[in-house]
Amino acid sequence: MDSDSPSSEHGFSLISSNAKRTRKRKVEGKDNVRKTRKKKHKTDSDEKTKKVGDDPAKLDFEEAKDTESNSEHDNEEVTDEFASIKEELSNLSFEELKKLKEKLGLKVFNQVLYGDKDRTGSEKKVFKRANKNRPMEISSKKPVQRFRKAAPVKKKVTRDPRFDDLSGDYREELFSRSYGFLDDIKHREREKVEKSVKKEKNPEKKKELQFLLNRMKQQELTDNRKEQQKRIERDWKKKEQTRVKEGKNPFYLKKAERRKLELAEKYKELQKSGKVDAYLGKKRKKTAQKEKKKLPVQVL
Amino acid sequence: EGERKAEVVTSSDEEETAQEKKLRLAKEYLANLEQEEAEKREEDDIHRDIISHRLKQDLLEQSGKVQKLVADGYEQPSLDDIIVLRGHQLSVTCVVISPDKRHVFSGSKDCSIIKWDAVEGKRLHTIPGGRKGTEDTHTGHTDHVFCLAMSSDGKFLASGGKNKFVLLWNPDTCQLIHRFNGHRGAISGLAFRIGSHQLFSASHDRSIKIWNVDELAYIETLFGHSDAITGIDSLFRDRAITSGGRDASIRIWKVVEESQLVFNGDPGSIDCIAFINESNFISGTDNNSISIWSLMKKKPLVTVKNAHHGQDQNGNSSTQTNWITCVAALHNTDLVASGSRDGCIKLWKISKNYTVLQPLYSIPMVGFVNSLAFSPDGQVLVAGIGQEHKLGRWWRIKEAKNGIRIIKLKRKDV
Repeated sequence: MDSDSPSSEHGFSLISSNAKRTRKRKVEGKDNVRKTRKKKHKTDSDEKTKKVGDDPAKLDFEEAKDTESNSEHDNEEVTDEFASIKEELSNLSFEELKKLKEKLGLKVFNQVLYGDKDRTGSEKKVFKRANKNRPMEISSKKPVQRFRKAAPVKKKVTRDPRFDDLSGDYREELFSRSYGFLDDIKHREREKVEKSVKKEKNPEKKKELQFLLNRMKQQELTDNRKEQQKRIERDWKKKEQTRVKEGKNPFYLKKAERRKLELAEKYKELQKSGKVDAYLGKKRKKTAQKEKKKLPVQVL
Repeated sequence: EGERKAEVVTSSDEEETAQEKKLRLAKEYLANLEQEEAEKREEDDIHRDIISHRLKQDLLEQSGKVQKLVADGYEQPSLDDIIVLRGHQLSVTCVVISPDKRHVFSGSKDCSIIKWDAVEGKRLHTIPGGRKGTEDTHTGHTDHVFCLAMSSDGKFLASGGKNKFVLLWNPDTCQLIHRFNGHRGAISGLAFRIGSHQLFSASHDRSIKIWNVDELAYIETLFGHSDAITGIDSLFRDRAITSGGRDASIRIWKVVEESQLVFNGDPGSIDCIAFINESNFISGTDNNSISIWSLMKKKPLVTVKNAHHGQDQNGNSSTQTNWITCVAALHNTDLVASGSRDGCIKLWKISKNYTVLQPLYSIPMVGFVNSLAFSPDGQVLVAGIGQEHKLGRWWRIKEAKNGIRIIKLKRKDV
């Protein structure tokens, strides 16, 4: 009995030392997983922590199986491995043996113990199907990854129409034509703000609203002026087209000419509203002030 | 016939290769056949033709080529043919019928398993469920029972549920034989391989474990599904088929080759699966569709959408699609059954070349049809009915009575 005990202890301690080794690895946790991923290509039997169930003896067995499966090893080495495992097993008690059987599974246990003739030689089974309509065939022994695609999630592609090539280049007339409806909306909103300004009692808010109203009004005015300028341009171009049809050279609308036309239009508008005199009066005053500056300064 | 290759047998080997095993089994089988035929004929010389005919038949059956066209021979089951057996307190989740048709076992959400007499319609024995927390002391389940399976010789009954272990019972005495630990999730399906004592168990931990019930040992684990397994079935061959729920895949596991065949279905949860014969199977999804598949194609042969389009008790068509809760098939024939919560069990007929699935009859059945089982000769259909779905309490049909229904399928008089 005494002669047996040190060897049995040795056999047991072999396994238990493996256990300690793997327990350490277990504790490291996340780093562990990363390590195994990096060392995927190593055929070394060290990195077996990715297997399900961190049982030390199981790892031992799996190592043996995989060392066998590396076709580089000779058959003799394989039998040596088996012999060593069998020796270890013979030193285990019956209860431990039973537990081992339960943990590993009968198939694996029998394969290693009695040697499996099917496995020697055929390693990575390549499953090829007869035609593409047949179902796919894959190995049933590989545990599924923890993180796997559950449901396909579509990635939202964001497009900024300002910088996207798909939107094309900016064309002002097209833009104004397609978004012309906004002007009507702005007009309506301005009227609303006007009404609310009248109603508003709170002086601060009234001030704010007044500012807003002014802003809106000014924006409208600038838009109108821009439109007017474009109209002038368009009319001139139309006129020039008739000249081109006749065969003559078209003239370019100079800035001065443009200003004149604008002025003419303004005069027409003023006549409609009847404010010609007021306008002319203001204009005269302004020019008078400017003229005054040119006069010599009297020093007393 | 005789497709087995003869391998050179080395004298010193104790273990046999798979081929040697096949050879030995084939020889034994032939010997058995000869004996049977000899007994039948009571003559000295046995005609080879008879043996070959028998072999052909069996081979056809096993390879799935034979399809007995029996569906047309049945008539509409009337209400008199339905026996209601009540005894469970909560919804019945699973039923099995013994091979001799005399007993029916049912498992339920109240953690109990009841043995019924199918012939007389009485409750014979109850294996009660225990309270939560008494797993160590109580013999039986202390949480919902999800699945039952019985071996084809009637010697073993296996049960599994939320408790994560598989219990093995003796069906005659209802005594516990063994408890198989190992799964890390609820056991959602159990299946015995016909003609053997090999048990497949499928679980919510996405793995399948194979157990040898003779030696009470765990053999191996199979991986592949990426979602909890919802159903498992097995026939004569050393294969099992499983449906994988939300991963929309059905897998056939070849145990010997350690490989799996993957079939991809429509995106939706495949909730139930059943073998029709060795090369065809039927599946039901939670999109109210039933599909017939072949081993040779990765896509289904036939799909019937909106299979259970029934209405509620109050006559309102449900706003949510009816899930197909279970499917069952009469082996090697063209008759299949499906159940949902729309108030009926539907019987379908498969056309000769598996191109059409025709609705045959509709058996009115209020409640969730959580489980269906055909008797091997096709004379009886057993259904496990509950007020709730077997896996949860999304709906509750108050008008339903928890229990099993034994439906006699009568043949038309020709």
